[in-house]
Amino acid sequence: MAIFSMIRPEPRKKIVLLSITVIIEGVAFIFLWRVLSETDAVTMQASSTSRLSDVLPSLLSDLNLILPMSLLAILLGIACAFYLEEWLSVTNWIRHFIESQVVFLTGIPSLLYGLLSVVIFFGYAGVFKAAGTTFQHNTALFYTEALIFILMVSPVAIKTTQEALRSVETPIRESAYALGANRWQVLTKQVIPRAFPWVLAGGCRAMSRALAAAALLIGIYTWSYTTGLRGLPDRFMLFLGGALLLSNTSSFLTEIYVPASTQQN
Amino acid sequence: MFLLQHNRIDSEATLNILAIRVMHTEKEQPILSIRDLSVWYGDHQILTSLSFEVQPRQVTALIGPTNCGKSALVRCFNRLNDFTSDFRFTGEILFKGSDMYAKKTNVAAIRKKIGMVFRKPRPFQCSIYENVAYGARLSGISQPLQLNSIVQQNLEKTGLWNEAEPILHGTPEQLSTGQQQLLCIARALAVEPEVLIFDEPCGELDPIETVKIETLVRDLISDYTLIFVTNKRRQAARVSDAAGFLYYGELIEFGTTEKIFTNPQDPRTEQYVTGRLG
Repeated sequence: MAIFSMIRPEPRKKIVLLSITVIIEGVAFIFLWRVLSETDAVTMQASSTSRLSDVLPSLLSDLNLILPMSLLAILLGIACAFYLEEWLSVTNWIRHFIESQVVFLTGIPSLLYGLLSVVIFFGYAGVFKAAGTTFQHNTALFYTEALIFILMVSPVAIKTTQEALRSVETPIRESAYALGANRWQVLTKQVIPRAFPWVLAGGCRAMSRALAAAALLIGIYTWSYTTGLRGLPDRFMLFLGGALLLSNTSSFLTEIYVPASTQQN
Repeated sequence: MFLLQHNRIDSEATLNILAIRVMHTEKEQPILSIRDLSVWYGDHQILTSLSFEVQPRQVTALIGPTNCGKSALVRCFNRLNDFTSDFRFTGEILFKGSDMYAKKTNVAAIRKKIGMVFRKPRPFQCSIYENVAYGARLSGISQPLQLNSIVQQNLEKTGLWNEAEPILHGTPEQLSTGQQQLLCIARALAVEPEVLIFDEPCGELDPIETVKIETLVRDLISDYTLIFVTNKRRQAARVSDAAGFLYYGELIEFGTTEKIFTNPQDPRTEQYVTGRLG
């Protein structure tokens, strides 16, 4: 409800334009999906049972990894950004270090992270085996992917959340402080309500990045894996669709509340 | 007979002297005393050993050209400079006799006692009612009836009640800039401060709104001690009782407004007041 009360009359036109974009994207997306599903090259090895039974198990195992991990990574990113922006001073070396790493990590194309996970996984599989540990194939895969996922998602979340916090003008904070509010009260009553849509948009953007990478990886990775091509096009398109939807949601969220500093100047 | 008369005169005289002494001792307890204050932002020295005293129930104006450290000075008074990472200072600021920068000081309590109104009116993004009630809510008042009376009282004090009453639960953006500034003053008054700092409150306002703020400032001195920062000489002359002239970090002269504007001791003050400097 907090978001709806913040919608201003000015960006309505932009929201309408964005909706048109979403509709066009959606139509193009469904068209692409159908074309891809009917292509023999991709559906070649699909079973003769219903399509849902093809897609659902693989999709659930994907989501089983993605949902908890993304939640963890985004929350970690947001918490980290709050700590950096609100508690550490500009000259603090921890802040310098994390910010430089964030710039580095967000600069890497998301597909490379997926390839990196494959490399780490197959690289270390041999190491584990040589060390004689009780090596579980799936467990190692899970941890590798979880690690890569956090590395991929949280820097984006950190960056966008930091930008959101910076968009709350200093005079607003100062007038709250001048009234005798403490840091926590300023944060909860002034900063978070203003920055909230932007933080949410940051989370969406991070997720969108992850899903797009995952969609591409499914395309590449499945060829090298034994389960074959069951449900490949549907999973691919679902992930790509999710990425598109989330990136659109993030642009919606950033449109509905524009900070006063960018409005007036 | 003569002796008796003489005695009476004598006693009257002593009474007068006593009365003067009482007034004098009252005047000797300033609400803020600044002793040898120097301020740096990083390596850049902003203020150089200032010493003056702010008397209660008066308007103290701080005048000087832009960028001469007026804002840096008043931001020391309610410890807003704490958020500037490379801020450091030497000297003392006493608020009612106790050191404001002592380690055990409750900063939030100090900021409640010493309020501040900024150059640009920045109402919070909630209703007009909630803006004024913000300070009261911070103090733990949550009963609707009590809040209602606080809001009405403070809006009436600033003369905004008539305009604000119909849109009390609307956004502050419905008000004009001057009215928003009055709202910010009402918001600061609702915390019940003892000292109120105005940091160029009329910098963004038109002349008619400026007059409103100035009359309000004169009305407020019955209950509050006011510090008024401005770079408009005439405004300072109209509004204040005491004035200090700051010039590039130095307090050139401090005294009653009458003295500063009619009989300045320092040639630079005279030049500034007459408009030949700054």
